[in-house]
Amino acid sequence: MRSGLYPKIAADGIRKNGRLYIPYIATSTLMIAVFYIMHMLGFTDILTNFAGSGTAKDMMIFGTYIMAIFGTIFLFYTQSALVKGRLKEFGLYSVLGMNRKDIGKIIFYETVITWAVSMAGGLLAGIGLSKLAELGFAKMIDVKASYDFYLSASSVCATILVYSFIFFLIFLNAYRQVRFADTINLISADKAGEKPPRANWFAGLTGFALLTAGYVIALKIEQPLAALMWFFIAVILVIIGTYLVLISGSVLMCRLLQKNRRFYYKTNHFVSVSSMACRMKRNGASLASICILITMILVMISSTSALYINREQTLSNHYPRQLNAVAMRYGYDSGYKEAGETFEEGINDLVSKYGASITDSVIYYDYTISGYYNDYKLDIDINPMENITTLDYDNVATVMFIGIDKYDELTGEDKSLEDGEAIVSSSGKLPIGTTIAVGDSVFSVKERSDRDFDKLCPDISLVSTIVIVVKDVDGVASGFADRMDVTGNPMICWNWKYCFDTDLNAEGQIELNGIIGHYMNQELPNLAHSTRYCASHEEQRNDFYKTFGGLFFLGILLSVIFLISCVLIIYYKQISEGFEDQSGFGIMQKVGMTRPEIKKSINSQMLMVFFIPIAFACLHLAFVLPIIHKLLMLFGHNNMPLLITCAGVSALICGIFYAVTYKFTSNAYLRIVS
Amino acid sequence: MSLLEVSGVKKIYKARRGGTSVQALKNVSFTVEKGEYVAIMGESGSGKTTLLNILAALDKATEGSVILDGMNIGTIREAAMAKFRRDNLGYVFQEFNLLDTFTIEDNIYLPLVLAGKKNEEMRAKLDLLAPKLGISDLLKKYPYEVSGGQKQRAAVARALITDPKIILADEPTGALDSKSSDELLELFSEVNGMGQTILMVTHSTKAASHASRVMFIKDGIIFHQIYKGDSTDTQMYQKISDTLNLLAQGGELK
Repeated sequence: MRSGLYPKIAADGIRKNGRLYIPYIATSTLMIAVFYIMHMLGFTDILTNFAGSGTAKDMMIFGTYIMAIFGTIFLFYTQSALVKGRLKEFGLYSVLGMNRKDIGKIIFYETVITWAVSMAGGLLAGIGLSKLAELGFAKMIDVKASYDFYLSASSVCATILVYSFIFFLIFLNAYRQVRFADTINLISADKAGEKPPRANWFAGLTGFALLTAGYVIALKIEQPLAALMWFFIAVILVIIGTYLVLISGSVLMCRLLQKNRRFYYKTNHFVSVSSMACRMKRNGASLASICILITMILVMISSTSALYINREQTLSNHYPRQLNAVAMRYGYDSGYKEAGETFEEGINDLVSKYGASITDSVIYYDYTISGYYNDYKLDIDINPMENITTLDYDNVATVMFIGIDKYDELTGEDKSLEDGEAIVSSSGKLPIGTTIAVGDSVFSVKERSDRDFDKLCPDISLVSTIVIVVKDVDGVASGFADRMDVTGNPMICWNWKYCFDTDLNAEGQIELNGIIGHYMNQELPNLAHSTRYCASHEEQRNDFYKTFGGLFFLGILLSVIFLISCVLIIYYKQISEGFEDQSGFGIMQKVGMTRPEIKKSINSQMLMVFFIPIAFACLHLAFVLPIIHKLLMLFGHNNMPLLITCAGVSALICGIFYAVTYKFTSNAYLRIVS
Repeated sequence: MSLLEVSGVKKIYKARRGGTSVQALKNVSFTVEKGEYVAIMGESGSGKTTLLNILAALDKATEGSVILDGMNIGTIREAAMAKFRRDNLGYVFQEFNLLDTFTIEDNIYLPLVLAGKKNEEMRAKLDLLAPKLGISDLLKKYPYEVSGGQKQRAAVARALITDPKIILADEPTGALDSKSSDELLELFSEVNGMGQTILMVTHSTKAASHASRVMFIKDGIIFHQIYKGDSTDTQMYQKISDTLNLLAQGGELK
């Protein structure tokens, strides 16, 4: 009988404090569901086989860690508020003869119950939502089960382990609160005044510094390869910075407002500013949590929607013409020129045999070589493995050699060059001097071209590209014939491309693509170890839709979950503060505050408090957009105006939703205080 | 005309589902003149707090009227009530009712801020009031940093700062130790000496003995009242005790 007492008291305690416990359990349930889904996406093989899938996975893995850290912070914060509200009850138990160990047992059972309920609910929700997502994918992208959400045992285990640990920490914290308090303090705990926190300059400045550092990193990153690593660093800096700034910065702000007597002693500001100042420390934590959730939502929605909306253009970037025949091979061979001509003739033959005609075409070849660009010289002997820590990724570059005859043909200009002269253009921000050296070959720069070679030569390169136009491209390439990289493979790479449009319809294009692809693979000049294929714009479209549609859906799914967590946090905050403020507003009514005045003061307070996170989130988004833009380049997306529009629209939608939530929860608050 | 005229006030609390109803005030009538210091005494459950709540317009009488300075409190609309309370009444509570989130200074300013008074005006008023109440050094502190007596003095300052027509005090010494109680009562006498009308509800004989008139309330009616006249506090104390003894024994008064 006696052993059943504590679980019963614990269960009763939760039931009686349902108004506080239900949002708490609901929030932890959602956190667990999000963690499960993210873990599953990041650590299993659901996201594979599309351009940028590695990045998407990395983001999910990163998101998993964020959710674990974030979940800990948030649950800690809410739970300590919960225990604080119940200290009086525990004090009563202790007066009635329970010792601290017994109270510890009650807390233990309470934690176990919340743990069990939210764990079961969270896992079910996670599994259910991912199943729903699977169906959603199928509907949205019209391809059956392109992402197969199965029940991932490893994710279930990870979720249980991580969140059990978090709950264990929470229990220890609650036990600590009760263990080291005197009975008398327990009884009067909720009455004890809390001194408004002093403005902590150090924390505030540190937070500001971290935030600035994060922003600077985000703005400084030039190249997507470098971006991924730095992006994570920037995100972590910004998260910590946000917490510090919102916690101490907001206290500071309130202090300053209070010093300004003209502002402070106004009916609208007086009550709101002072109560804000008093609870800012705790407020700051939840505001920062809301802010980070909103930022995540904004980032996810704006990036995935930009990818999805821009899918057609991305497709054209990858595959500029209807049919794109490609051949590439490492090393220099004198037979390249001839091989290219054979390919071209063969393809032309196949096209006319098929009964089609070529309406528009681009054909060219170039040589590429990669290295580390420094001091107007591309160092091709550097060993990337040995220098991985000292290398600046922004300086990793690919040089593309192209012949002056092809250059004139592509651009319609009429330029000429002598041996040792070059026309140079660079993407990215690599400086070009009067000469440029690649390995041991030095060229004098005759002219700098600002032509956008990315459009001309439809290659999405992940690193900076320098295009060097020379007189005799084969001659220059042969100079690098015996340069080998650290693994013993030739460094120079030959790329041949023949891209053309035809008068065929979509089906015809796909069929012809198959014929040419087969020809390229099977029939061709004797070049060992070369890669040859033909890609059709039409055929790839399906893949692109699947990939980007899937990502967009994933973005929406996660955003919805985050949004719900956000709403719960806000609701929880309002309810718990409502109970705290109840007596305060009672006093004010006695002193002569009218109901409309109370309402107005509450509105002013909430407006200030609740629009801080969304303002901060928009600021974060603005600074992180350049980096997102660069990350999207990994997916072949290069459309900044669209990204900005998407960001604007998502911020707007988020703002409207936020305003509705705010209205809805402030009514709940109002009902409690009056 | 008297400052406060209470006539035929009844208050009946109805149980929520029909059932029994409780008559807290049966028929209460009295007047308070300007500058008077009146104490209302009675045991727990005698209806004195109900009466005070009606006077403070926090509660509505079931029957009867309360007229403050020619204005019938019962006819004031709900919306205007808070403003009326702010402008005409000063309230001192047993539990001080200071807001923890404000400094003492800001707590005192609260009614003025609500009334939309200018910053300079508020400061001038407080500068005048603070030394009299001996709270000049406490202004920047928070309520939980000062003693009960100091809190109550701050609450008195908050009640006085609007220059109310009447101060309503509900067991003002109830939560204070005897030394703080004495100081507070001294303060009340001083404030009254400056012409402030005070109406205090208490069951402390000592507190009541400072008043110029004491009314006894029992079972919802004013049972008896005694005037201090020229008697000293001690004599008054004796009179009150005698009356209370009689009341307790259920005896009839002449």
